Amino acid sequence: MLAYREGDAGAFEALYTRHKGPLYRFVLRSVRERGTAEELYQEIWMRVIEARGRYTFQAKFSTWLYTIAHNRLADHWRKRGLKVVPLEDHEVAAPPADEPEARAAGRQGLQRFAAALAALPEAQRAAFLLHEESGLSVAEIAAATGVNEETAKSRVRYALAKLRGAMSDD
Amino acid sequence: MTDPDRDARVSAHYRALGREEPPAALDAEILAAARRPRARWAVPVSVAAVVVLAVGVTLRLQLEERSGAEQVALSPRVMQAPAAAPEAAPQPRRDVAPAPAPAAVAPMAREGQAQEPPAGARKREALAEASADRAEPAGRASVSMAVGKITRTPETPEQWLERIAQLREAGKGREADESLAAFRKRYPDYKLSDAMRARVAPR
Repeated sequence: MLAYREGDAGAFEALYTRHKGPLYRFVLRSVRERGTAEELYQEIWMRVIEARGRYTFQAKFSTWLYTIAHNRLADHWRKRGLKVVPLEDHEVAAPPADEPEARAAGRQGLQRFAAALAALPEAQRAAFLLHEESGLSVAEIAAATGVNEETAKSRVRYALAKLRGAMSDD
Repeated sequence: MTDPDRDARVSAHYRALGREEPPAALDAEILAAARRPRARWAVPVSVAAVVVLAVGVTLRLQLEERSGAEQVALSPRVMQAPAAAPEAAPQPRRDVAPAPAPAAVAPMAREGQAQEPPAGARKREALAEASADRAEPAGRASVSMAVGKITRTPETPEQWLERIAQLREAGKGREADESLAAFRKRYPDYKLSDAMRARVAPR
């Protein structure tokens, strides 16, 4: 990011390639609506581009990126008035047949899992997604979401417990 | 080492939901935006605007100070006018008693300004007198241009006479006559030295 800040456009491309999938899925699983997710995803990257001059080497790029993402999503939820999306609205894409996880879980099991993920309180889901998708540590999740480590840790653990519960029938 | 905050089965289920990627068109749009150079002009332009504003205000303040100083400097000369001169129009400065030391002049002159016609009126009169070919110092001209609508520093009587003399020397007799008449009207009590009279008087 520092190289990009100094004008190296190729450095941005490398960062983008590394983070685009995890960030996209983080946003998509958070808002669960593809059009909105794409819009938010683009806005987050635009903010990164605009804020390049302010980036300093105080945090890992991924923590900085997900801080921006978290803030943008928080704006989104605020505007939407924290509207809860009913469970039945969630759609699960058919799992790719060649993925062992998909075969093991089965479509029914995945739908329950996806519904449980969608039903998580927004803060717990964000903590879980950050942990799972971006590979952030609990401390980094705390930094990105503006809470202390204990809160971040308990959010991750609550989320895991609920998701485990959704898998118990598999 | 096992991470107490990770669960392999949960992770496997999560990964089985799919590994969606952003559409290629979105990638292209974001990468294109990243390649666009930053608006590097934005900062210099705002800095330049602040500098121009600051310089303008400073110059204006300086000019106003100088203007006040010139008015003060003018007083003693006007006071040299003959005591017997007709008191047609009240000229407050003539009423000021003997020329004090320069340091003491300022406050008195400032007090006197309250009785004078508005400064703007006097300046307009002086400006009306300024002919097009007036030889104005380049520095002052550029200052006027730089700060836009700015009050011109009033001309001292000596500068005005010098300008009339130059008009006369340049063969612009009619303009010199008009300017001299205006000078007489403005400073009816000003006593010309013989040398200056020789230079400005109609030939």
